[in-house]
Amino acid sequence: MTLRIGIDVGGTHTDAVLVEGDNVLAAVKARTSVDVEAGVVAALEAVLAESPRPRRAVRAVMIGTTQFTNAVVARRDLAPTAIVRISLPAGRELPPTLDWPAELATALGGQVYMLPGGRRFDGRALAADDPAATARVIEAIAASGVGTVAVTSAFSALDPAPERAFAAELAARLPQVRVVMSHQLGGHGILERENAAALNAALLPLAERVIGAFERALADRGLACPLYVSQNDGTLMATGFARRFPALTFASGPTNSLRGASLLTGLAEAIVVDIGGTTADIGVLRQGFPRESGTGVLVGGVRTNFRMPDILALGLGGGSVVRAGGARLGPDSVGHALEVQALAFGGDTLTVTDIAIAEGQLDLGERARLADLDPAVVARAGATLHAMLAEAIDRMRTRRRALPVILVGGGASLVYQPLRGVEEVIRPPYAHVANALGAAHAEVSGEAERLARPGGLTRAAAIEEATRAAQAQALAAGAAASSLRTVDVAETQLAYLAEAAARIRVRVIGQLCLQ
Amino acid sequence: MILDSISTGDIAALCRGSVFLATGGGGDPHVCQLLVERALTTRGPVALAAVETLPDDAWVIPIGEVGAPTVSLEQLPAGDEPVLALDRFERHTGRRASHLVSFEIGGANSVVPLLAASARGIPLVDGDGMGRALPEAQMMTFSIEGVAPTPAVAVDHLGNVVILETTDPVLYELQVRQLAVAMGGMIFTAEHAMTGREARRAIVPGTLSFAVALGRILLGGQGDAEQRLPELAAVFAGSQYGALRPLCTGKLSDLDRRTVGGFDVGELTIAPFDGSAAVTVALRNEYLLARRGEEVLASVPDLLTLLDLETAQPINAERLRYGQRVLLLGIGCPPHYRTAKALARVAPRCFGFDVDYTPLS
Repeated sequence: MTLRIGIDVGGTHTDAVLVEGDNVLAAVKARTSVDVEAGVVAALEAVLAESPRPRRAVRAVMIGTTQFTNAVVARRDLAPTAIVRISLPAGRELPPTLDWPAELATALGGQVYMLPGGRRFDGRALAADDPAATARVIEAIAASGVGTVAVTSAFSALDPAPERAFAAELAARLPQVRVVMSHQLGGHGILERENAAALNAALLPLAERVIGAFERALADRGLACPLYVSQNDGTLMATGFARRFPALTFASGPTNSLRGASLLTGLAEAIVVDIGGTTADIGVLRQGFPRESGTGVLVGGVRTNFRMPDILALGLGGGSVVRAGGARLGPDSVGHALEVQALAFGGDTLTVTDIAIAEGQLDLGERARLADLDPAVVARAGATLHAMLAEAIDRMRTRRRALPVILVGGGASLVYQPLRGVEEVIRPPYAHVANALGAAHAEVSGEAERLARPGGLTRAAAIEEATRAAQAQALAAGAAASSLRTVDVAETQLAYLAEAAARIRVRVIGQLCLQ
Repeated sequence: MILDSISTGDIAALCRGSVFLATGGGGDPHVCQLLVERALTTRGPVALAAVETLPDDAWVIPIGEVGAPTVSLEQLPAGDEPVLALDRFERHTGRRASHLVSFEIGGANSVVPLLAASARGIPLVDGDGMGRALPEAQMMTFSIEGVAPTPAVAVDHLGNVVILETTDPVLYELQVRQLAVAMGGMIFTAEHAMTGREARRAIVPGTLSFAVALGRILLGGQGDAEQRLPELAAVFAGSQYGALRPLCTGKLSDLDRRTVGGFDVGELTIAPFDGSAAVTVALRNEYLLARRGEEVLASVPDLLTLLDLETAQPINAERLRYGQRVLLLGIGCPPHYRTAKALARVAPRCFGFDVDYTPLS
């Protein structure tokens, strides 16, 4: 059997697991370091030290990281980027970054350009191209000195030719400049797709550094195996792909925890509650994958169309502050300072962790310090905790049928009473490293969209074309051809149009091919 | 409160209020909100004219968009289509507009005419042609009150212009719908022009001011939908809508939706928290008919709105999801829709439901 290592880089902890097939051989937690790399190296060293087999038996390392999300949220490590939109005259009064937070638009350098062209919904040209204007934009980009460019054209998911033509001209004039074409990130909605392409382009130099550092960390530890990076939808990308699409990692943390919970329990349909220090993140597994949010997702204040898991973040975790005699918990939390501020550790703040310790459910700190706590407060706080979780779980339930609840994360042991409306609560072993396990076991995917309409592609042909394109993407990401399977064919009708036009999105996944 | 002008700071509230009054339809106003905020920031506020102050010889032009909201998410408006539609309408008819007015106070169309009013510096009428959102042109109060749909001018983002001449309102709806498809999926029209004398009868008055006031309550307050009910009921009680009644609080337990003939049709089911029988809401772009078993709780033309129970914000039909906790509200329609000639265009039977309209008590 081949060995895999899964690593999850979180805000506080960097977790690592070593797995052989379905068996967990080692699981460790290290502190996340400021430079991230050192924390990853420490976790890697710790997990390898526990390995019963030689390093060369490790065939793949998978990393899930929040660094790229954090870069956007904190507006740091973003490269000045030119944003080009091909859709004039459509959108003339709505230039790129118009609705961005000002400091984020500034971080990208304010280089925005608009050109005529693009497509209509029926594939016809939206407006005639203007080669002279294109040449002027390319010269302006050359003069600005930016190293990254994002280009978006109207209906490029339907026909990406205008984006490709621009990218080709840019490459001919400025071969050193890196360009992201919005159709590579996909999705309907030009503003959201343009935003996604722009953020992705601005992250390219950081991706180069971070992924380069991960690769060096592996090489320095004598690991010659390939490295993969987790993406939003719970599948993996090879490092070559991750270097080009770092924005696809934005929601990989919650996704890995859901995938890990599925793997630890063998359940494909369940509600997963990941309890940390500040929040309980509740998501739903459908066919073994996270149910996705139906609405656009803000990343650092910018509307994007990334496919993200539908997560309800309840402000309730191990560090949540207990108030009103136990009737109110959180949303504020002592967070990282739990081991200083919580009562059981000699601090002066009553936290949810103290309640679980007082109830004898957790063996942490010094229970004796809680001897003076009013038992009525402890009981009420316990009741509030379980009622809050039960209500939040119920909110995420989609149909009337009962679903088991899987508890994962460092705070899973805070739940010690039955949850109203929940028939079955599962606490799998290794629940505290579910994220790293989710990363270690992830598969690879591909996705494509086509438009079906009278006079264009028939519905069957649109599904066939989209499936072929999605499969090619999955193969490029490292899938074994024999394992490819279609997991979703989503069809969206374009309302108000008399003719029946529909957008068809196909998603395939497959197992990672490990030699 | 009656506004005498509308400025950048009012637009977010206007859009939120209009999503509430859109009763599930109307599309996402985000793109038009950005355009209007930009225009008003550059050129200053737009004057609002109260319907009852319109002189007999005023010349009021309704302006709005027709087509698929889904298309306009990808092919954005250029921004000057509304003013181009107005220019070409005036050139064709040889008469200058004194005022503009909105088709409907629901979704994007609640703000579209502000773009033309701002560009030309002419006032917008504080009112609209529906007091809510409805799917077809002949359902506008302009049409119901006998205003001819044409001459009408349709323009696209490229500046293509089509002039329509027809006096049959239903035929006009068919033509303009087909035209939208041929012109790229989304067009802007100037149509149903009327004199001040006609406008005072045909426009649902005060709805812009009302949507702004409603939007401010929705954006500003605190508490869940049930806690905020008295506040919302009070604002409707003091208006032409009158009654606002909570019909049920519960969880979306089923959602059956498909697209038929260019419309989003379907039915959603709410399982009430109090264990009472389930409530169903029929959907045809907008929420149209609420029933408990055979009993009709409320129906079009009265308004049905779904609020997210936790945030108290209105939920657009395309954003509905299983498991959402909602408060279903029934709200009386403006008096314009309670007449026999109006009900001949907008009663439940006009949408294929086999029930009569029973006004919300």
